[in-house]
Amino acid sequence: MEHLENIAQTYSQAPWRKQLQFLGLFSLILVAVGVVAGIYLTVSAHSATLGREIQAMQYGTYSQNDRDGLEVVNREIEDLQSQLALISSASDMRARASKLGFVPVDTTKVIYIKVAGYEQRQPASLGPHTEQPVVSAPVMPPEYTESLFDWLSRESQAWSFSLVGGKP
Amino acid sequence: MIERDHVWRYSFVGTMLVVLPILIIIRVVRIQINPEQLRSDFESRGWAYERRTIVPARGQIYDRWGSLLAGNQKVYEVGIELQYVKSPETIAQTLNIVLGLDYKRVLDAASTKAGPDAVYAVVADNITQDQINKLAVIIDQMKNAYPNSTDKNTPSLRGLVYQAHLGRIYPETTLGSNILGFVSRTGEGYFGVEERFNDLLAGKSKTILVPKDPNRAQELPQVPDGASLVLTIDREIQRSMEQIIDRALIETGSVSGTIVVIDPKTGEVLAMATTPRLDLNEYWQYADVFPKDVPFNRAVMEAYEPGSVYKVLTMASALDVGAVKPDTTFVDTGQIEVGGARIINWNGGAWGPQNMTGCLQHSLNVCLAWVATKVGASDFYRYMQAFGIGHLTGVDLAGENPGRLKVPGDNDWYAADLGTNAFGQGVAATPLQMAASISAVANGGKMMAPHLVRSVLNGGFQHDIEQSVVGMPIKPETAQTLTKMLAKSLETESSDALVTGYRVAGKTGTAEIPTPFGYTSNATNASFVGWGPVDDPRFLVYVWLEKPQTSPWGSVVAAPVFREAVEQLVVLLNLPPDDVRLKLNRN
Repeated sequence: MEHLENIAQTYSQAPWRKQLQFLGLFSLILVAVGVVAGIYLTVSAHSATLGREIQAMQYGTYSQNDRDGLEVVNREIEDLQSQLALISSASDMRARASKLGFVPVDTTKVIYIKVAGYEQRQPASLGPHTEQPVVSAPVMPPEYTESLFDWLSRESQAWSFSLVGGKP
Repeated sequence: MIERDHVWRYSFVGTMLVVLPILIIIRVVRIQINPEQLRSDFESRGWAYERRTIVPARGQIYDRWGSLLAGNQKVYEVGIELQYVKSPETIAQTLNIVLGLDYKRVLDAASTKAGPDAVYAVVADNITQDQINKLAVIIDQMKNAYPNSTDKNTPSLRGLVYQAHLGRIYPETTLGSNILGFVSRTGEGYFGVEERFNDLLAGKSKTILVPKDPNRAQELPQVPDGASLVLTIDREIQRSMEQIIDRALIETGSVSGTIVVIDPKTGEVLAMATTPRLDLNEYWQYADVFPKDVPFNRAVMEAYEPGSVYKVLTMASALDVGAVKPDTTFVDTGQIEVGGARIINWNGGAWGPQNMTGCLQHSLNVCLAWVATKVGASDFYRYMQAFGIGHLTGVDLAGENPGRLKVPGDNDWYAADLGTNAFGQGVAATPLQMAASISAVANGGKMMAPHLVRSVLNGGFQHDIEQSVVGMPIKPETAQTLTKMLAKSLETESSDALVTGYRVAGKTGTAEIPTPFGYTSNATNASFVGWGPVDDPRFLVYVWLEKPQTSPWGSVVAAPVFREAVEQLVVLLNLPPDDVRLKLNRN
């Protein structure tokens, strides 16, 4: 018994044990800080990369390829519309028609017949004819903006609809 | 002794603990209020942000069926970044060969010493993709041929850059050019629709600060594009009318020609063909195409004395006010005196007893002057003003001319004007003004506002422009009666304006052109106005030929142009001959 007490006393009083404890604690903190710093660096680097990509997509800055920018894409669309108009211009179309053997018709050669259900050509409709603004689809999915409560509510509604066979 | 040593140490530490925070506070305050610091803060923000101006794309212009008449294309600005230039001669020579730029001008620009006030020089703009492709090849070849050369005499295109942007393009080149107008290099619209709706088409540009820090990437504000316009113009009809007027100019030797086609029921202008026309993609040729005093669009910018086509309005007012009836007889003695002025007929002859249809058929000045006196000056001018003569039609084009109608009370109005105005002399109107006012006769007395813009596309929505009624200058019965009279007069005289299968009403016009010394010139303005089909008018065509050489008479030179125009129109409007149409409608 006395022998055991001596060992315990010796162990508890050993200076290296305290140093080991201190070293262990320090290492633990160091590892924890390292892990946190690593995660932080990874996330911030990823975020910066995405940030650059967003900037590039929006206006081409920082992009290796100038074609990435939204502005450039819009410009290309405008340009293509004009190119299409050029190749379908009145003079070009008429020249192409003549090449294919068509000739302008005169009043004496036109035959008019009544076709049931035929609707006359309507003037250009290049957009919705409405005064009321149409709400555009949200860019971000709701998962990014809704609260936990909103999510639970939405999910429960979806479940209840699916159970009764309805469409949410 | 030891305690005394401790005292000064304690005092020193205490003093430092007091003084240091005070110094820190002073420094903090100074940083906050120091203007130098503010400047450096501002500068640092300048590095952190990039100022960008978002210029919205200019709105497009379409014809009524959606064919693009004015759009945007990718063009390039070519410039020189002065600080990087190594060989101004190479740059100047390359741009001279590839883009045809002036060698000396480019050399001067490229030789400019770079400094705070000289960073970048624009040497060319609106350069096409094809030209840029050629330039890019040369730049690449030059880079590969002389990589990293430090020799001062080595050819180099360093500093030569190009940047894409949107420029205006008109796919139909000259088609409808007088209607559209053009956009200058600075983005400003000139003439026509481009000028009239410049603000709407151009949109509003916005300058923003964009953070360079990728962690602060933010969504760019939405800058809406300029609004687009859908015109009432039909591209095919416009093209046909332009071809017809061009041919007429050659055949008649006229100085200029104009055809206006409108739908009398809606006021929509289907075509407005006039001369000269400009290739809008080369708008810088404007001064050559339109020398001094030549209006960009004669149909709305040039008022002229219309002559006998004006008799339609005179007769309309007389019938409407009840001064005459179609069968009222007038004995034409070949002359009449109104307000002290002697008025004679176009051939100087006396035509004897004539009813009102005969007066119109033979275009008798004496008869119409008499008719005007029967109406009376007060009512006559009231009707003319109701028809919009002397007023802007409000058509959506820039630079409209209101014309001139002298009325009693004006300093330059004389009693004789009533007689001369009756047959279209001493009054000035634009072709569009005449077409719009006479369209009231074609449209059962209701005068629609002539317009060229059918819809506006803004924010993704198409807003149709409401058709508006300008007024009802005459009663429906008057309009019907006069239309029948004019149709009959054309048929009786076997006019060149008659179109096989289609009943049309119309009136010729031949007007002497006034000079500073009176009507001393032999030159005339030949006109024709007509509409059809008489029972259900779908079109009104106004023709004006300025100073025709082959014949001075409207009946000889302008009437056939009207016929040709209608023959094309009925096909393009899918309008069957009257008998076929009536038969189809009955079934």
